[in-house]
Amino acid sequence: MATPKGGNFGKVLEIDLSKQTFKTRPVSDEILQQYIGGRGLGAYYAVTEYKAGKNALDEDAFVFVGPGPLSGTMAVSHRTCFAHKSPYTGLMTHAETGAHLASEIKFAGWDGLYIKGRAKKPVWLSIVNDKVEFKDASKMWGKTTDDTHEMMVKEMKDPEIRTAVIGPAGENGVPYACIIVERYRAAARSGTGMVFGDKKLKGFAVRGTKYAVPVADNAKFLAAAKVNKDGNVAGEAWEGIKKWGTGGLMELKHFLHGSLIVKNYQTTWFPDVVKVGGEEAMRTFWKRHAACTNCPTHCLKLGVIRSGKYAGMVAEGPEYESGGLLGTNLGMTKFDEMIALIEACDAYGLDNISTGGVLGFTTEAVEKGALKPTDLDGLKPKWNDGDTYMEMIRKIAYKDGKAGKLMAKGVRAMSKEIGKGSEAYANHTKGKELAAHDPRGDKIRAYSYTMGTCGGDHHEGQGPAALGMTAMADSLCVCSFTNFLVYGTGTDKVVTNMLNPLCGWNWKPEDYWTTAKRIMTLERVFNVREGISSKDDRLPIRMYKEKLPAGPRKDVIFTDADQKDMETKTYGFFGWDAKGIPTEATLKAYGLDYLIADVNAAKKKYNL
Amino acid sequence: MEEKKLPDVLKKETSRRDFLRGTATAAGGALAISAIGGIAPKKAEAQYSVQTAPGTKPYAQKYRFAERQNCTGCRSCEFACSLFHTGNVRPALSRIYIAKYKDMVDVPVMCWHCDDAPCIAACPTTPKAIQKDPKTNGIVLNEKICLGAKCMKCQEACPAKYIRGNPDTGQPLICDLCGGDPQCVKACHEQAGNPQGPCLQGRPVGIGVNMAFRDVTPEQAGKDLANLMFYPNVEGKRVVPAKSKTKKGR
Repeated sequence: MATPKGGNFGKVLEIDLSKQTFKTRPVSDEILQQYIGGRGLGAYYAVTEYKAGKNALDEDAFVFVGPGPLSGTMAVSHRTCFAHKSPYTGLMTHAETGAHLASEIKFAGWDGLYIKGRAKKPVWLSIVNDKVEFKDASKMWGKTTDDTHEMMVKEMKDPEIRTAVIGPAGENGVPYACIIVERYRAAARSGTGMVFGDKKLKGFAVRGTKYAVPVADNAKFLAAAKVNKDGNVAGEAWEGIKKWGTGGLMELKHFLHGSLIVKNYQTTWFPDVVKVGGEEAMRTFWKRHAACTNCPTHCLKLGVIRSGKYAGMVAEGPEYESGGLLGTNLGMTKFDEMIALIEACDAYGLDNISTGGVLGFTTEAVEKGALKPTDLDGLKPKWNDGDTYMEMIRKIAYKDGKAGKLMAKGVRAMSKEIGKGSEAYANHTKGKELAAHDPRGDKIRAYSYTMGTCGGDHHEGQGPAALGMTAMADSLCVCSFTNFLVYGTGTDKVVTNMLNPLCGWNWKPEDYWTTAKRIMTLERVFNVREGISSKDDRLPIRMYKEKLPAGPRKDVIFTDADQKDMETKTYGFFGWDAKGIPTEATLKAYGLDYLIADVNAAKKKYNL
Repeated sequence: MEEKKLPDVLKKETSRRDFLRGTATAAGGALAISAIGGIAPKKAEAQYSVQTAPGTKPYAQKYRFAERQNCTGCRSCEFACSLFHTGNVRPALSRIYIAKYKDMVDVPVMCWHCDDAPCIAACPTTPKAIQKDPKTNGIVLNEKICLGAKCMKCQEACPAKYIRGNPDTGQPLICDLCGGDPQCVKACHEQAGNPQGPCLQGRPVGIGVNMAFRDVTPEQAGKDLANLMFYPNVEGKRVVPAKSKTKKGR
């Protein structure tokens, strides 16, 4: 078992919340070369340690918090990946977030945190270099994410700690609760918050002062990292993201692409988007740009609401997804109310996207008569009604009343429960709500929703190659904005040029693709063991049945031919069969022989 | 103020760079001319280049300034500084660092290279363990003489509360301006992404300026900046949500 020459320390911090102990879990260079870190390493642990049908909320279920080999180096790398089995979808899942957490974990001397067990009373973790403390979180329990963060800063007397915390939603077991990192960034879409809440873990704070990431060949690596940074600075395409964040995409996607979702995916035409989009934010709201570690793209925008009932509200956004799901998706035309909904979700620790999906679905169900106000504690949600939506978000976070308990289940379970034809407008894939890109207007986005590991996720890669590149980016823990969205198919060279001198590896650009396919296939095997196959790789019914009624993509529908084409291309690219099951030859080619028996057993069990 | 009494610099159209050079108060200048959300200069890095003209030598950067409103908190300055001084990226050893205030604003905390240098005045050793390099204006630490963690008189004396202890040796981390070519300024310019322009700047003169900026603690600087940018909610309190009305669900 070789120790890594660079990029990694070869040690993961394993924390057992039940026994309140921690130890070093060694990780060899061979494993890191195959699975990299972050998403890939987390999936490797899950596939090898879990049996099919494992309960995501078991006491020994883990959450792997991974930086990657490039985190904490001169390369542009600042993502943190939370990989685990999702209690929401029952599938392998990964939630990424930005900020400064990843590099801080590296500076504390760890390649990742492996958190398992369940505490008897609420705890939070303080991780300062080699020292781990289990601290009493009973005073924090019930507090919102920003208050919790401030309490941790106060208790550790160090404003430079990096925190990841849950809000009331995670504590109360909302399956789409998320982790909030440093107040404004979220690791969401996976139910990580619910797992933390189940483990009675309010969050953790990391401070690293002792270690620097080892580099095998410093001079070569710095040159390659400079190429990476310069490519980002020079990338004209990203000037827009620098200035507008992703909020500016709202108008762009609405007027040009016809893919901005409106009113629970009923249409993609909503000219009032100008009242809630990036331009309005630039004109009346934004105050500053904020960046993740070492990143020249600074896509996060902070602002303050200057008048009205939310005057003085300091908030982040709108991003494309949060503004789409909690703005146009709900027919919002009042900017401050939309920002307030986003803020409320962040404060409670709720995934903006799934929450928006649930609110949109509920509104349409009421509109169509499938739900009555009596089912919702008397609430009468209608489009553009910010106050009712605010109350609904609060009910979800606390699972308050009949409405809260129902809506906290998510769209798939809700539509199953209420029936009455609501399946026709229950917009989810594999049990996860879709994001703010309508796949009829943005057909390539359907790859991400359907073929990605998590299901319903907008950030899994558009197209077969992009699915692979996203798997690599999430394992390297680099942001797609600074990685393959800048370099395209040339990413393999940029990345291997950095990895070789950093880690002392001998990668060729082909190895980048092999590893990408290995990680995707590994996760696929995990999901196949849970019964997933091509029958699940489908968009919501609405996308195949209802033509877009207006906008630049008027009359467009996602056809069966589109679906077939997508399946053929993706399965072909990764070496999976027509049902989306990795073949034996594929598993052997990627060094995943140890999974052949699992796949065969799953094929037999689910008759695939 | 009557129109005729306006100073010339306010009347004529002055490019931003000339204006900054004319007053050499980048930090103060930021208040007057930075409007967040304003029009981005096309190539910010070119405007702020320390090159006086193409092909000529860069001028000595004896003082640094920070347009605090422009800091995105990316910490590339910390990365570049620790890389230059230790050969590794390790922000805990950086001679400049970014202090967050309530996660709303980021304040670059740095040495202002005060002409009266209270830190050097406070150094108890003979000869002084910290001294100014007259050529570069950087403060150079003599590790052999420095008393380290048990002394830290320089830290107490620093009006900006800038000086941190080295977590390994306990000696102060203090800015030597990298021998005249501050890497933090370079790194900040290389990011070149902020539509408002980079935050850190190096200038040849700085006499008599920055006193108001240096004489505040990082925390106060954060409060100032939050007040400037996020008024009226300068404490950054979350306006929503209201406290849960329910007793259930806890």
